[in-house]
Amino acid sequence: MKDRAEVVIIGAGINGCALAYELAKRGKDVVVLEKHYICYGATGRCGAGIRQQWATKENALLAKKSVEIFERLSEELGYDIGLRQGGYLIAIHDEEEMRQAKKNVEMQRSIGLPVKIISPDEIKEIAPILDPEGMEAIAATFCPTDGHANPFKTTYAYARAAKKLGAKIYKFTEVKDIKVKDGKVEEVVTNRGKIKTKYVVNAAGAWSKEIAKMVGINMPNKPVRKEALVTEPIERLFDCMVISFKHGIYFSQQEEGQILGGIPSPEEKIGYYTEPTFSFLKHMAYMLGKYAPPLKHINILRQWTGFYDVTPDALPILGETNIEGFIQCNGFSGHGFMIAPMVAKLLAQLICQEKLDMPIDRLSMERFKGKITKEKAVVG
Amino acid sequence: MRIIEHPIIEFKRGRKIHFYYNGKKLEAYEGETIAAALYANGIKILSKSLRKGRPRGFFCGIGKCSSCLMKVNGIPNVRTCITLIKEGDVVEDNDMVLPEKEYPECKFTKLNTDIAIVGGGPAGLSAAIEAADYANVLLIDENHRLGGQLIKQTHKFFGSKKEKAGTRGIEIAKELEDEVRKKNIKILLNTSVIGYYDRGYHFLVAVDKMNRTVYEIKAGKIIFATGAQENMLLFDGNDLPGVYGAGGVQTLMNVYGVKPGNVGLIVGAGNVGLILAYQLLQADVEVACIVEAMPKIGGYFVHAAKIRRCGVPIYTGHSIKKAYGNEHVEGAIIAKLDEKWNFIEGSEKDIKCDFICLAVGLSPTIRLIAQTGADILFINEAGGWVALHNEYMETTKPGIYVAGDLANIEEASTAMLEGKIAGLHAVIEFAKNDKTKIMEKIKEYMEDLEIFRQGYFGIRPKIAKEKIWRKYHEKMGNRRNS
Ligand SMILES: Cc1cc2nc3c(=O)[nH]c(=O)nc-3n(C[C@H](O)[C@H](O)[C@H](O)COP(=O)(O)OP(=O)(O)OC[C@H]3O[C@@H](n4cnc5c(N)ncnc54)[C@H](O)[C@@H]3O)c2cc1C
Ligand code: FES
Repeated sequence: MKDRAEVVIIGAGINGCALAYELAKRGKDVVVLEKHYICYGATGRCGAGIRQQWATKENALLAKKSVEIFERLSEELGYDIGLRQGGYLIAIHDEEEMRQAKKNVEMQRSIGLPVKIISPDEIKEIAPILDPEGMEAIAATFCPTDGHANPFKTTYAYARAAKKLGAKIYKFTEVKDIKVKDGKVEEVVTNRGKIKTKYVVNAAGAWSKEIAKMVGINMPNKPVRKEALVTEPIERLFDCMVISFKHGIYFSQQEEGQILGGIPSPEEKIGYYTEPTFSFLKHMAYMLGKYAPPLKHINILRQWTGFYDVTPDALPILGETNIEGFIQCNGFSGHGFMIAPMVAKLLAQLICQEKLDMPIDRLSMERFKGKITKEKAVVG
Repeated sequence: MRIIEHPIIEFKRGRKIHFYYNGKKLEAYEGETIAAALYANGIKILSKSLRKGRPRGFFCGIGKCSSCLMKVNGIPNVRTCITLIKEGDVVEDNDMVLPEKEYPECKFTKLNTDIAIVGGGPAGLSAAIEAADYANVLLIDENHRLGGQLIKQTHKFFGSKKEKAGTRGIEIAKELEDEVRKKNIKILLNTSVIGYYDRGYHFLVAVDKMNRTVYEIKAGKIIFATGAQENMLLFDGNDLPGVYGAGGVQTLMNVYGVKPGNVGLIVGAGNVGLILAYQLLQADVEVACIVEAMPKIGGYFVHAAKIRRCGVPIYTGHSIKKAYGNEHVEGAIIAKLDEKWNFIEGSEKDIKCDFICLAVGLSPTIRLIAQTGADILFINEAGGWVALHNEYMETTKPGIYVAGDLANIEEASTAMLEGKIAGLHAVIEFAKNDKTKIMEKIKEYMEDLEIFRQGYFGIRPKIAKEKIWRKYHEKMGNRRNS
């Protein structure tokens, strides 16, 4: 293992790997440290949906600019990331949701997103297997450029490209401590040795809170367990991701035909408890059957648990801290995959002291001192 | 393709029925699986591989590999090797299209039992018989009949009289089943246990697809006896229909009375390969040869001698290089191996055959036990990944037991003994006054096991067991210390 690097990134999820690539592209000497293996964290367990329909402009812009990157990513990284742009269909269940949806759509259209509100009949046109009545939907919003990608392929593509540019990724290497001297990061201590460095990026997902503690920063993030399942593959039935804020459900059909999705579990708890529950399985199966009745005939293959790294306002924590060189890249809740390409670019610009494509000061931890505005368009 | 006369087995076929395959009307007998009925009608290509559309035949024949998925009565992805055929069934290529019909409602049934046993092979049956004297027992198997792999063992068993030596596997299965049925044991057949959940108590979810019933089972203790699955071997053409697991061929031939083909080639001269060769000959199927990578035969000498007497060549130091054929096996290329296990150029032989049986070992089927959180470790001598356990068969997850092939690839006799030990140990706390008696019985079975593992063929299992026990105690010791 190297004993010195300009930037040490903690965590080889989508964010750590994407940032490693963006930095290596800019000629930085980067090391990524991963406790387990690439995609061990939320990335390898997520729905990998890519949605631009957000209620806050920060999230919507981050997602929109990320989609622009996703669209040419396979080519740029030289590896197919399995991107499918089948749109996101967000169910609207009542008048109150309709009012919020109208507000969201107006903001989203103002930044150039082709979102529209559609009727139950149009829902069936877009995805004939859906049953608006079972969904209890009076309408939906739909954005055709939303979609999903394969989280494993995307992360490996970034990791591979980063390595080609000289970045080092050390797997099964756990960060045990971070040494700070005169308010500056100095050295990262792992179970396999120490690395001197100028920058440490905390991209440890649901474990970021523990990493921040090592430099004396107390974060408000909470790890929240989320369960998901995948079915056997079947013929192509629909292209869009279907979600509902009210029911908390999301599901899509993957490239090879499996249906993948999740819903908040009746047994949901805070903490790092990974065992899946039967109540989730039962509830999700029931709701899938209500949303898309033909799916009752499908066998479920697997279920698993991942963790959301949840902040009080459901917005990420990005950028510098009062410890010089300690950079935050976490707090992504249920949407850290979709905004990763842009987040990585912005943080690389920050570290390389370039001009940022968009400001990120409002995403630093400072914001929790004042009044917080919560992102409303969260699922699960 | 059906076997009419057999020196050992009498095939009692059920009522003659009809079914449809891709629109064609075909005959079958009640009590056969769909895959066996298709095979008897000469249909050997059952499915296509997912990505490349390569043809696939059955492989394991016991529901563990999913190479036999077809569409049955409109439902895609049905495992035809363990699904019984019914009058009027419509069997089609698996186009993965969902049916238009409504899905019938499911029943949810809650069960509460002292002991749940998963797997009705020799280990599970023996566990059930012992445990049922002291506690209420629920026995679950996803097949349509009890007996596990015993129902295809037509040879006589070795070992001690107590473990039914001299008796054929099929007869042992019958005896165990009779005993189980005499006792007050609740049996669920055609029911797959699909999940284990820790809810502060042991909780299993099982599904009977045919009767649309989901069982939610609360169990005091669970004994897993889910057996093993056959190993694949890496060679060109290994996915051609006609390349089968040895056990799959035994099931087809000895349980359903259907010939796997006309000329077979067997890879592996351990006991499974040798016995299979003899069984094929009994069913009037030709065996072209047996190839064995090791420099000498692995199985019992008497078996090998019998095979040789019948004129079947056994090529030691050889392996299979390639299977060839147009959509189905038509032959194989075998070749000699050097001391580094590389093929020796120029030593190739072309063997004409229409099926190939792989008898190259088994791996424990750990998918369910892994869900319990019991510690799993890769132990080469045990056949792969196994759940660590102690001398009483209890894993590192308290109240969760393993027995039989799942606990170490061995044989039916040891599986029965392990089942008995697990069954008894699991009920100790339910047996009020009989604790000493139970411990004495357990001791006796342990001694029998010890004797079983003394011979030449006990060397490997013994090493495996000792490793498993040692690692178990290490883990539990560490846990106590921390
Ligand atoms: C069920 C589920 C569904 C989701 N669906 C979506 C979706 O549809 N769309 C979307 O955009 N997002 C979704 N998300 C959220 C998304 O998965 C995450 O926000 C995103 O993957 C976070 O990526 P990351 O790289 O920041 O963190 P992670 O992928 O969690 O990576 C962090 C890594 O850090 C490592 N690490 C931790 N501590 C240490 C240490 N001390 N030393 C070294 N390494 C360490 C971990 O092992 C881990 O590999 C979902 C999440 C879940 C759980
Ligand atoms: S699952 Fe049917 S052949 Fe293996």
